[in-house]
Amino acid sequence: MVSQPKTETDATPECVLVVDDDAAIRLVLADTLRDAGFCVIEARSGTDAVSYLRSGGRVDLIFSDIQMPGSIDGLQLARHVRAAYPAIPVILTSGKYKAEYLDSTKNFVPKPYALDHVLALITQILGLTDNADK
Amino acid sequence: MTNSCVMLIEADLLIRTPLAQYLRDCGFQVVEAFGAAEARDILASTGVRVDTILMDADAPEENGFMFKVWVRANHPGIAMILAGSIERTAEKAGELCEEGPAVSRPYDHKLVLQEIRRRLATRNGNRDDPQNSGE
Repeated sequence: MVSQPKTETDATPECVLVVDDDAAIRLVLADTLRDAGFCVIEARSGTDAVSYLRSGGRVDLIFSDIQMPGSIDGLQLARHVRAAYPAIPVILTSGKYKAEYLDSTKNFVPKPYALDHVLALITQILGLTDNADK
Repeated sequence: MTNSCVMLIEADLLIRTPLAQYLRDCGFQVVEAFGAAEARDILASTGVRVDTILMDADAPEENGFMFKVWVRANHPGIAMILAGSIERTAEKAGELCEEGPAVSRPYDHKLVLQEIRRRLATRNGNRDDPQNSGE
């Protein structure tokens, strides 16, 4: 059982930026996270994600596909976030890339992924469980 | 009670996100799409039951008027609200639809909410309208 993101001491839900150009995948994950109590921002591309970050909108964690259309893919997004927003953890996902190829982040979830697994990982990284390992 | 579902088709994330959140806070289920292609994909592949679609009449990928024609043909049960910002959109709407843009961009969130509720009340006799939260 995954802990709810809202705690007694923090009434504001954690904000997860979900970046995926596949609308159906993005929708299902976003709904799952919202049902778990997270605030979710949906972006279709790395460019959209960067625009949102630059707007100053709150983001506590980014979950991004690697392969996306546009000038910024998931790997580039992760590098940008690491440089400009080092406090924001990034989880990358892909059906093609393998974790051992990635140096941008230690957090990688291969596609297809189990929603429960992603939810548990996000909850853990955000320190919302007792065994958090950020 | 199952919340009414609004599909919000808006390419600009910075416009779409706060409006989507506002509508969620008002009790609606909100599905976000960046354009007509994504909207079609969601309607075809997810099984989500959409009651109302709100779309920019001048959406860059496919304008809202053409998409409204498609929705009317393929999903006649879905109410569609177009948002327009320039006069020409109203003229174009008159050529293709029974009515032109009902709300203006930039969005006034409360006016959008009122228009969604009006459409739902017209179609459903107010059965699916969320309670009067957010006003």
